[in-house]
Amino acid sequence: MTDYVSRYSLDGNIFIPKKFQGFPEIKEALIADRMQAGFMVAPMAMALRSQGVPIKIVYLGHRYGSAVVVSKEGPVHSVRDLVGRTIAIPSRFSDEHLIVLRALEANDVDRREVEIVEMPPPDVAGALAVDAIDAFSMGEPFPSQAEMGGFGRVLFQAREYWPDYMSCVLVVRQDVIDRRPRAVQTLVDGIARSGLWLDDEERARLHRDHAADFVGRFYFNQPPDLLRWALLRDLRRVVYTELEPRRADFELVRDLMLEHGLLERSLELEEYVDPRFARGAMGQTAWRYVPGSRVAR
Amino acid sequence: MSGIRRLVVLLAGWVALVSAAHLAMNVDWSTVLNERLPPGERKLNVAYIPVT
Repeated sequence: MTDYVSRYSLDGNIFIPKKFQGFPEIKEALIADRMQAGFMVAPMAMALRSQGVPIKIVYLGHRYGSAVVVSKEGPVHSVRDLVGRTIAIPSRFSDEHLIVLRALEANDVDRREVEIVEMPPPDVAGALAVDAIDAFSMGEPFPSQAEMGGFGRVLFQAREYWPDYMSCVLVVRQDVIDRRPRAVQTLVDGIARSGLWLDDEERARLHRDHAADFVGRFYFNQPPDLLRWALLRDLRRVVYTELEPRRADFELVRDLMLEHGLLERSLELEEYVDPRFARGAMGQTAWRYVPGSRVAR
Repeated sequence: MSGIRRLVVLLAGWVALVSAAHLAMNVDWSTVLNERLPPGERKLNVAYIPVT
């Protein structure tokens, strides 16, 4: 998806991808209009909208892809073992936070029995390796980083407690939606086509292998083998299709946020989601792109 | 060329070299040029973090 954004820009025009290291920085950039669109965790987008920030969610970035990871040789083997431990999350306003709360509740553990701390995603694997934290809840490739490094073990994948789990969403400033809806549609179409290409029924492994290579080297600045681990060991670990915003998914997030005091007032879907771009992308097909060639259609 | 004059030329050259390197490496020219375009013609900055 990032590559699509970049290539579209290089080829002529519409987008410039900008890498950030944390969601709070993206939030500030959107508010200041330094970024006109961005990928961020769904609860943060909803919290911003409830505070009056003029943005709308137009699409999802992916589904699943988050996990709670503990020390490989450590004493935590169940959610109940997390009592008295420290868990890192990317933000209070993140699905990774909500999945921890949901898992604790499902196992009759009081939230106050666990220390939850915020930490930038790139820092969590290192913190776990030196025992600064006991666990982290984060999106890929950081669970894979801990597994590959030999010091982390997945305690549970988010889907085990949240079957239709979603995390990153694409948000766009309202003024851009109003003034340049065709550009927004182009962006959403490209993300939809990239997702279909990554999840291609017959060639998903080939496509993901290629994506791991160029995204790792040119966009994420991460080892391609790390992304291969995340994308290829289990193709269902991260899914790039079914990205249209669904009412039930967002109402679940909203209700969890209200329950845990992360949202000051209830929001209706229409206040924070603009579904027309997802509808417009429904007829899209996967890129016709063979890894190694120079043209995608 | 006197010693002082040579020193001034060398210093000026060094400052110019460091300034050029700074402008090349630390200024995001795509953003600078983009912000000089009329709003309707600007490219859209899309933020992401390195997670899948």
